[in-house]
Amino acid sequence: MKLLALLISTSALLAQVKHEDLLKSPNADWLTVAGDFRGQRHSPLKQITSANANQLVPKWVHHIEKANGLRTNPVVYQGIMYVTSNNEVRGIDAASGRLLWQWKDSRAKKDGANRGVALLGDRVFFITADCFLTALDRRSGAVLWQKQYASIDDGVFATMAPFAVKDRVLVGVGGGDTGMRGFVAAYSAATGEELWRFWTVPKKGEPGADSWGKLVQYGGAATWLSGTYDPESNTLYWTTGNPWPDFTGQERSGDNLYSCSLVALDLETGKIKWHFQFTPHDTHDWDAQAWPVLVDLPWKGQPRKLVLHANRNGFFYVLDRTTGEFLQATKLVDQLDWASGIDAKGRPIELPGKAPTPAGNRVCPGVRGATNWMSPSWNPDTKLLYVVTLEQCDIFTSSSKEPEPNKGFSGGGAGPKPVDLGQFFLRAFDPLTGKRVWEYPMTGPGESWAGTVSTAGGVVFFGDDDGHLVGVDAKTGANVWHFNVGEGLTASPISYAVNGQQRIAIASATAIFSFGLFEPVKAVPLPAKR
Amino acid sequence: MRLLLVFPLAAMSMYAQHGDAAGKPAQNPAIGDPAAIDAGKKLFAGGCGGCHGPDGAGGRGPSLRDKVMWHSLDDSALYTTIEKGIAGTEMPASRLPAAQLWQVVAFVRSLSSPAAEMNVPGDARAGETVFSQAGCVNCHARQGRGGKLGPDLSNAGATRSYPTLRESIVDPDANGAVGYRAISVKLRNGQELSGVERNRSNYSLQLQDRAGAVHLIDMADVAEMKDSRTSPMPKDYGRRLSKPDLENLLAYLSKQSLRPVMAEKR
Repeated sequence: MKLLALLISTSALLAQVKHEDLLKSPNADWLTVAGDFRGQRHSPLKQITSANANQLVPKWVHHIEKANGLRTNPVVYQGIMYVTSNNEVRGIDAASGRLLWQWKDSRAKKDGANRGVALLGDRVFFITADCFLTALDRRSGAVLWQKQYASIDDGVFATMAPFAVKDRVLVGVGGGDTGMRGFVAAYSAATGEELWRFWTVPKKGEPGADSWGKLVQYGGAATWLSGTYDPESNTLYWTTGNPWPDFTGQERSGDNLYSCSLVALDLETGKIKWHFQFTPHDTHDWDAQAWPVLVDLPWKGQPRKLVLHANRNGFFYVLDRTTGEFLQATKLVDQLDWASGIDAKGRPIELPGKAPTPAGNRVCPGVRGATNWMSPSWNPDTKLLYVVTLEQCDIFTSSSKEPEPNKGFSGGGAGPKPVDLGQFFLRAFDPLTGKRVWEYPMTGPGESWAGTVSTAGGVVFFGDDDGHLVGVDAKTGANVWHFNVGEGLTASPISYAVNGQQRIAIASATAIFSFGLFEPVKAVPLPAKR
Repeated sequence: MRLLLVFPLAAMSMYAQHGDAAGKPAQNPAIGDPAAIDAGKKLFAGGCGGCHGPDGAGGRGPSLRDKVMWHSLDDSALYTTIEKGIAGTEMPASRLPAAQLWQVVAFVRSLSSPAAEMNVPGDARAGETVFSQAGCVNCHARQGRGGKLGPDLSNAGATRSYPTLRESIVDPDANGAVGYRAISVKLRNGQELSGVERNRSNYSLQLQDRAGAVHLIDMADVAEMKDSRTSPMPKDYGRRLSKPDLENLLAYLSKQSLRPVMAEKR
């Protein structure tokens, strides 16, 4: 009995998500929103293959009451799946879909979509819409501490999953469409104490402040998506949003650093190592929020540490992730008319007449971009990056009104004409050439936000624009399986294993679905009464 | 996209805040009055059209034509919104006197109100003849009589605004014709089908043919497909119909309402 108690307590002690676990690629567990620190979203599980994926069936559905457009990316550890909705976290039995616990912050001062949790130790980290970083016990959902890191009165809010690395949790903010100042901040995972804060818009007098004109105080450059991390160099990679006001640039002459950029930050200090700005002086709301995927590949014959980035502005970039050096940019989409290309230093070669106008100006890509925060994935076997892309042009309008922060003003607007709606494609890119290897056209209304997961079984799973979870062959893009979830998809799938069976899971608008290969369901006799 | 949503939401919350305190809808003779609507249209073009488009179809500001639902918000709330503007947006306060403000309200209301609730010009009885003779009836039905290919028009006036009805006659593809795009397929068994695409994904097709028969098709069975992405409706009715014929046809369609409408009292 004592031995049993010891075993239980030992296994309970061991059941901690260690930093070292997070460094590994996912396996039965899917420990971070992007699967691992590198943002590759590749599962080494290979029970499901392109030959047997046609036998995938739903194993369970977990409905989330009052949910609408779930954006949560499930995270799984030792048989428990953690998902989020509006100011709410749930622990679910990943085998049965049954609720284990739920925690809701009913006093949050703002409602909003949420992208998921981070795990570290025995804790689940979560951010409320009004920017309270929250630590919960992963087994019970009991709250351990809450720390407010920003105020909605300053025009910011949160939709992101926090990012846990080593002993700390990284957070960011949204709100860049109405005037605010973006930042990334690190908090102690143990105590919630703030360790550092990096502002994505410099203060007056700091380097980069002269790239802003007079609006630097409210420049935006929000930080609403989690980043990725390279343990060897202890570097965080974080993307930043648009400069404000989104659609008029006359009050913010200059490049507007560090908006629409990828910044490399020292994890220890938060100091910037380098930055790369994809869209200087953006006027089309092309946030750089799309995952920076870290891969190591031979580049022109030499091994090189790279970061791959499919950007909203329509280009697919390859950078050296040690130095930030620009290596290559190719077209993500065919409908791209604001720049003729990217020059040798990585700066767009802009074409005239593509700024928003009071009467409206048709520009491609549209305001949602050629891709967006929907997750890409990388398959180390095929050496292809799978990216959901949107072929769409929008009418961009500008306003001459005096910008006023935190009043719902973004300097204009953008949207498609009803007869000019876009079409989504899943595309596979070879980063060494930047070329498209295959594409899978989707049907649908042009409203998807769903991304991808790559699996070692040679199947890429993604949510399509018509509410299907779809599997395609990783090498060819040929369709192997689909399932109609019955509503729109605004989240990305993952893969995990439970009881030895590989699963594919995704959040639909109002529910979590888990799929596995067909197995006859066993009859379950009721237990004898005692 | 996000921005276009922000404006109507802001407008709606404004309506909610400024709704009639007594809960009694305000009545103003300008509402539904063709002369007032016409006067309001001119005022709108001069003052509001810069943002909302001269015909209210939207531009920098949102379209005022798409939300038939807005009718459920009362006229006095709309009046107050135009009078005072919407804080936190680019919508300014108006300086027009009350009578003219009501004309603008009448025009804006006419953009989004069900056509059946408006006093529309034209002769509905003559319009019924146009409906038959111009060929509309070959594709559109009213209460079971007529063609099956196009949208059923039994309740057309109760569910569509007058500008929307007009647009769908002179420019059938203006809203993308979703649910009614022409499509033809050849199945692997050799069968050929054509009609409208009620719905389609990469995996299944719900096709309705000219006779009204529904074909539920697994896309794995489709060998060839021609998807026009446009309505099969002729595109030249705007030229083919004389101005009075079009007006009469619109009057007839505006009258198509299954339930009695409030505006008949006006």
